Amino acid sequence: MTLPAKAFQRWLQGIAPNASTADVCRISGIKRTTLAQQLVRGKVAVATVVSISRAYGVNPVSALASFDAYRELAAPVPPTRCELVSQISTPDLLRAVLARSTVDPAGRSSAEPPALSPAPHATSVKNWVEAIDDGELRHRVSAATGVAPQNYSAQLTANRLSPELAVATSLAAGVGAAGGLVATGLITEAEAGWPPDARQAALDSLHDGELTALAGDRLQALGKTLKRQEHDQEQTDKIWENLG
Amino acid sequence: MIEILQWSTLAVCGLVAGARIPSALRGENLTLFWIFALMTLAILLSIEAPYVAIDQALGGFNFANLILRFVIFAAILCVGIRVTRGFGATGGYRLLTGRIGMTVLAVISLSLIALFLMIDSEGSSAGMARVSARGGTDALLVEYYGAAGRAYPAYVSLVLLPAMVRAVRSSLPLPIRTAACLLAVGAVAIAVTLFFPVIPPSWGPAEFIINYTAVLCFIVGLALIWAARVRYGGSASTSRPSTEK
Repeated sequence: MTLPAKAFQRWLQGIAPNASTADVCRISGIKRTTLAQQLVRGKVAVATVVSISRAYGVNPVSALASFDAYRELAAPVPPTRCELVSQISTPDLLRAVLARSTVDPAGRSSAEPPALSPAPHATSVKNWVEAIDDGELRHRVSAATGVAPQNYSAQLTANRLSPELAVATSLAAGVGAAGGLVATGLITEAEAGWPPDARQAALDSLHDGELTALAGDRLQALGKTLKRQEHDQEQTDKIWENLG
Repeated sequence: MIEILQWSTLAVCGLVAGARIPSALRGENLTLFWIFALMTLAILLSIEAPYVAIDQALGGFNFANLILRFVIFAAILCVGIRVTRGFGATGGYRLLTGRIGMTVLAVISLSLIALFLMIDSEGSSAGMARVSARGGTDALLVEYYGAAGRAYPAYVSLVLLPAMVRAVRSSLPLPIRTAACLLAVGAVAIAVTLFFPVIPPSWGPAEFIINYTAVLCFIVGLALIWAARVRYGGSASTSRPSTEK
């Protein structure tokens, strides 16, 4: 999950040989107290390395790859089509459906849909895992990392995934190690080596049927989430009405 | 130690009751004010000094203890009704206000009064300690009387418990789940009071600690829901459960 402080210091020496901790914090925008605390505890957050790499113009993925726990990131693997599509937000996907002439023969939405919004989106983590899941994935991740399946699912529902788990998930699914880090928003698509129009190309390559079914799945999931939120809100209001 | 716990619980409960006065005057959720007011009175009556003072004024035959039991019944029934309705526990609500609930309340109340009348209850002291110290039949009757007094709160808590556990595991906002957790702990503590007769006397303060854990959990839990409403209630759609940490 975190990186050892010693390895971090060694890495920092490599990219900013003469910079003081204060300089590093100023340039990367990390709070000094935060970094100091991480160093004292001997556990440096992955996000810290990412911020510092960006500040010094180093690719965060290759920076992370220099640490033992993340060396799988060293070999860049192109993302699969499923992964690319999973990183398209639901509204973008729905717009793409409406732009297909088979779906809307009248062509009322003939104007080109706007460019895809950048990853990550509101359900990107869950969609990513679902895209690469062969049915046994969660089980394998849990066996490999020792994280209980329900804790793993809870993270996905909250659209979160620790970097360690994200990489472990990629490995267990046999896809590129950086995909999960894109889905969690830790690194950008470009930093992961995804071509700029890769998601658009993947979207265009989907047949009408595939795209529509996928959008349907997303809508159904969205509907479920909204229903649950409304139900919770109703219940909260009732509690407040009776006990507030 | 026990005295500090008692007086500070009284202070906390009195403060919360006092803080509810303005909204009670506006007519908002009067029941909640009464819950806190009754709980304050109940705590007052379970502390030795105020108990003796009040009981002496009432004739010195521990009538204040009987009052205390019914104050507790009223408070716990109000809590039960409000909580089951708030948390949507329809089954629990029916178990409290339906025929079964009313039968349970009537049977326990009548046995409580009958036992009280059978006891020679001279000698004011909180928890009728002086009566049971005299030994003999009275001591035994005081034991039964105490058990009857604990039975109804335990019944209500057991009815509340499943709904509270469900709420803790739900995706409701964090303050509400915390409150439900506190209410659940309080309910368990009240249910444990049923086992007081088998607690060895050497565990002296155990009974006090369990009692006051229950009271404090209920007060803090209910106050927390109220505080959460004051904090978030203004705009109903602001809290999104999925982003709760």
